[in-house]
Amino acid sequence: MDVTVNRFLKILLALLFFAALIWLTVKLSNIITIFIIGALLAYILDPITSFLEYKGMTRMQATSVVFLFLALFLFLFSYFVVPLIVDQVKVIQHTFSSGQGTESLKRMEQSLKESIPMLKNVNLDISARLHKAINHLSNSVFSLVGSLISLITTLVVIPFVVFFLLKDGRNIIKGMVSIIPNRHFEIALNLLYKTDQQIGGYLRGQFFDAAIIGFLSVIALWILHVPYFLLIGTFAGLANMVPFVGPLTGAIVAILVVFLSNGTANQMIMVAVAFGIIQLLDNVLVQPLVVAGSVQMHPLIVLFAVIIGGQFGGILGMFLAVPAAAVLKVLIVEMYQMYQSFNLTSQS
Amino acid sequence: MKEDSLWTNIFRKQSAEKTDTLKVLKNIPLFRDLSRKELRQLERILHQRTYKQNEVIFNEGQPGVGMYIIDSGEVRITIGPEQKVLAVLTKGDFFGEMALLLEAPRTASAIASKPSKLYGFFQPDLFSILKTFPRTGNKILLRLSQMIAERLRHSNLENQELRKKLASLTKREQ
Repeated sequence: MDVTVNRFLKILLALLFFAALIWLTVKLSNIITIFIIGALLAYILDPITSFLEYKGMTRMQATSVVFLFLALFLFLFSYFVVPLIVDQVKVIQHTFSSGQGTESLKRMEQSLKESIPMLKNVNLDISARLHKAINHLSNSVFSLVGSLISLITTLVVIPFVVFFLLKDGRNIIKGMVSIIPNRHFEIALNLLYKTDQQIGGYLRGQFFDAAIIGFLSVIALWILHVPYFLLIGTFAGLANMVPFVGPLTGAIVAILVVFLSNGTANQMIMVAVAFGIIQLLDNVLVQPLVVAGSVQMHPLIVLFAVIIGGQFGGILGMFLAVPAAAVLKVLIVEMYQMYQSFNLTSQS
Repeated sequence: MKEDSLWTNIFRKQSAEKTDTLKVLKNIPLFRDLSRKELRQLERILHQRTYKQNEVIFNEGQPGVGMYIIDSGEVRITIGPEQKVLAVLTKGDFFGEMALLLEAPRTASAIASKPSKLYGFFQPDLFSILKTFPRTGNKILLRLSQMIAERLRHSNLENQELRKKLASLTKREQ
């Protein structure tokens, strides 16, 4: 009887603990997001810091050098590129408020209804839907930032998190490993290493891949005289971090912008071709060099992971879905192998 | 004044512990070629673990990923279900170094026969040191290869001896 009561109490306590954990995660979701972004950046920058350490610097010196370069890059970026992007956003807002964009959308709706008989009696109302989508997107982007105070907090906290994780990350991990009980310690260390091998290459690869794709897209759109080329190119680069959905979204947005700004069909085809070539270059040259050999998963699993990630964590969730799935894969494969080897030894 | 002496004691104790650790590491054949600076780099990577008396460090057949160095205490290496004792190791001894190169099941069990403090050095740590401090990593790897080559030479000699004995036995039987 006592044993049953004890067991019941234990289960109840465990359930309460998990409920409290979920409640805390929800309540602190903003801080957790900031921490995840900081940890991701530190993780991406770690090899550069380690390289400087290998060249003879101490960890502190190496972290400071990386930070100085990062600050310089951010300064140059905010001085030269951000004003251009802000200008382009203002132009987009003007286009919509003046009704120019709405007219184009109405034209598109008309031509769609004419060419597809099924849609004749359906009220598409693309303009309202797009307005809603843009509002939703800007809301979700700005919800992270919230007010000016939280913007400043974010801008101060993220560099702090990145700096300390970059400098002390190894010791923090070592400290966490040291509290694992002796029985599971070796297995945990091995799992940690295998997970790092799988997702480290992927995350860093995706980051550099996004930078290359973004740069190529901006150049291509600039050559093709597409309006807001800087904004769309940057978006295409960032979107590229999400498998399958990302590259397609970048191309669709670019073509839509050409259409809305009264571009010719020729121009739209050229933009589509340019994105096609960039994707081809990415798949043939960039991806095998940068991302190769990291996460090996079936495309279907990747696709499902991205959809589930999007459901739970929006854009950040979609980006983190693949590494999360990779961690899960490593855990399952390793556990299975361990179970098998234990089974073999107990049989023999 | 009392506080001062407390702090001095703490720091003295810590630095004494560090020197002691470096001494232990320096006596391990695997790290014999490392300079003091390189030993300190290594010490930062090693995992310090404490075991109670009769606590299992690893079991035979369990997948292993690295070696252990005894800082204090005593470790019993046993084999088979009857737990036949192969060796009793003490301060400065090390075991499980084959797992640094080969991720294979452990060939024997290791149990702490006294309360022990061990340093763990694992395959991921070796790879990490090879990446961050390649000179240090290469020195360790070279010593490891030499030790394994030496063991292989020893096994070959033993093998030859056994073959000779077997041949003479079969001749005698004929």
